[in-house]
Amino acid sequence: MNAFQRAWRYITRKPTKTVLLIITFFLIGNLVILGLGISQAAENAKVLTRQQMRAVVSYETDYNAYWQYIDTLTDEDEINEAYEHSPRINKDSALKLTTDSRVKAFNYMTNTVAYSVEFENVPLGNEENKGEMYASAEGGEEFVYVEPNLMLYANMFPNMIELAEGTFTVTDGRFYTQDEIDTAAKVAVITKELAEQNGFRVGDTFRITTVDSYTLKQLKDSGMEYNEDDMNLELEIVGIYETKNDVDPNAQNFQWMSPYESPKNIILIPMTAYTEYQSEVASIQYSMYAMQNPDFEVDMDEITAQFDVPSRVVYLLNDPLEVEDFVKDHSEDLDEYTILNANNETFKKLSRPLDTMSFFANIVVWIVVVNAVVIISLVTALTLKTREYEIGVLLSLGVTKLKVILQLFIELILIALLGFTLAVGSGSLLAGRVGDAVLDYQTAADAEYETTDEGYYWYDSTDYFTEVTQDDMLSKYEVSVSPALILEIYILGTAVVLIAIAIPSIMIMRLNPKQILLEQN
Amino acid sequence: MSTILKLENINYGYIDGGYRREILKNLSYEFEEGTFYTILGPSGSGKTTLLSIMAGLDKQESGTVYYDGEDIAKMGLTKYRRNKVGVVFQSYNLISYLTGLENVLLAMTETDNKLPPNHKELAYAVLRMVGIVESKADRMISRLSGGEQQRIAIARAIAGNEDLIFADEPTGNLDSETEQEIIRLFQMLADRFGKTIIVVTHSNEVSRFSDRRILLKNGVLNDIR
Repeated sequence: MNAFQRAWRYITRKPTKTVLLIITFFLIGNLVILGLGISQAAENAKVLTRQQMRAVVSYETDYNAYWQYIDTLTDEDEINEAYEHSPRINKDSALKLTTDSRVKAFNYMTNTVAYSVEFENVPLGNEENKGEMYASAEGGEEFVYVEPNLMLYANMFPNMIELAEGTFTVTDGRFYTQDEIDTAAKVAVITKELAEQNGFRVGDTFRITTVDSYTLKQLKDSGMEYNEDDMNLELEIVGIYETKNDVDPNAQNFQWMSPYESPKNIILIPMTAYTEYQSEVASIQYSMYAMQNPDFEVDMDEITAQFDVPSRVVYLLNDPLEVEDFVKDHSEDLDEYTILNANNETFKKLSRPLDTMSFFANIVVWIVVVNAVVIISLVTALTLKTREYEIGVLLSLGVTKLKVILQLFIELILIALLGFTLAVGSGSLLAGRVGDAVLDYQTAADAEYETTDEGYYWYDSTDYFTEVTQDDMLSKYEVSVSPALILEIYILGTAVVLIAIAIPSIMIMRLNPKQILLEQN
Repeated sequence: MSTILKLENINYGYIDGGYRREILKNLSYEFEEGTFYTILGPSGSGKTTLLSIMAGLDKQESGTVYYDGEDIAKMGLTKYRRNKVGVVFQSYNLISYLTGLENVLLAMTETDNKLPPNHKELAYAVLRMVGIVESKADRMISRLSGGEQQRIAIARAIAGNEDLIFADEPTGNLDSETEQEIIRLFQMLADRFGKTIIVVTHSNEVSRFSDRRILLKNGVLNDIR
């Protein structure tokens, strides 16, 4: 007749007390499941959304912070100085981040628009709506505006995010190598459509320029002597790739889109080749300005250095759930006014209703747990008073006080397990209903108080962050009682019983068998 | 016969209405094994207190209780109660949510004394010995008469193979016929099984059948001739 056997007989042969306690635990269990279920569903929805948002972190200039800093300046010279020396990302920091084991691929990349030289871009399909466009130059002179029709992606490393994710797939030839990057080889990987449009094959060469028609006109008009071929970049096709991206002809801005906005017109080249070419072009242009303005001075090294460091470096991590830790681990090492952007603000904004609900659900859990401890402690303590006689008998038989406490614990834990098991079914149903109702209310309340952001924005043609709406996130909100949650409830129940048994245990430790039995006799 | 329990200079008292009342004063006595003792004395003389001290349910203020030459305080009172003594109370003190058999099994499970492996069979045998048949042994305590409950209490007291059986007014709630049966049971335990029985009682009827009668008066024990 050990403690477990005695406990089992007590709870089976004292059905009224047992049923009352089971009901108590059942009610507590329902409330705990309600809270934990809602909280966990909210967390799950956030995790799923985070996974949908891709594991992308962008190392970039924190223009919001920098322009806020400029807003605080009052001295004109200081403001001009601040504008002239706007912060840039640090190359060493950017490269150091690539060595983190969580990084799967990264784009140390500059994007720029360009113009085809004697070949055609892939048409967008909106060309018939566009006539010849004119623009005004300085002095009111009109000239024909030629739209850029290509987009250059100039990368410092070959393991591009798009290749790692399968957005780009090389179907013919190969991707350019690190060796080609290091030697600034003039090679390119073009889209299948661009190749087909112009009959290009691997091994062919083509030319592009980044100089717009007005600058070319200025150069011609200036009378400066220069080699026209220096304004073009000749590239050898080493590979042809397919892209999963395309423009949406139903998009609102489709009619005004330029050909370079079509993913089919993206050309991938080594960043070093781009930097070298761009430095030459810049040198010619600055020479022209210098000729026209004798006082004009420029530091070409500084100009070249600017081409060498992109405006941002984007890292694709192995796991979306590592994003926050990655940002946390590296943020402190960054230069002033540079940040690791994981699109957290959007995520936080989207998850606000879930966070609020989760917050209140957790409060409910804690209130219930604290109350449960108090209630169970009191019930056990009161029950103990009626069981003093039994305890006195056990002690007189030489049963240790610890074994007596163990029996009480086993009784409570068995009852708690039964109560919580019954609560699992009803609690999940309740949590689903209550969770949906609270979420609807919270979403409506958030929408009512929605404010527009007044931060600064800057344009970048490559958006690595997947657009996720609040509806996407809320659609992932589903309350279900998972095995992990059930385990959590049982662990919590055991903890409640353990804490609740503490006060009665102290009472038992103070009991004197003679005293009890004398009183009874 | 050798001494199984020795009381040496036991003192015990308490404060009552601002005055200290001495219950046991330098009390010394030796109990021999296999003997049926009854302790008599007027109400308030300290019989139950003495029994509690001897049974390890309470501690004396000073003095020493020796079991088989070993100080029970050093042995540990819980261990002493578990392995060396069985106690029978006036109100039986059985656990209400257990059957008669289970109450007996409880003592057998707790003791460290060596017992035959099949506890259940042994428990039935002990119960039969005190006059409880199986059908009654399997009943809940509330469904048994006072006499039957007291027999079960006695069975529990001896089931763990304890050598010392203490009883506090064991027949106080029983009719005279049952009282006789209980007395015979104690005699048998002392005579046939070599148990030392120490019964605190008011009843002359009980004390008449004991081997030795002791009077507790003015805090000391004296044999009654």
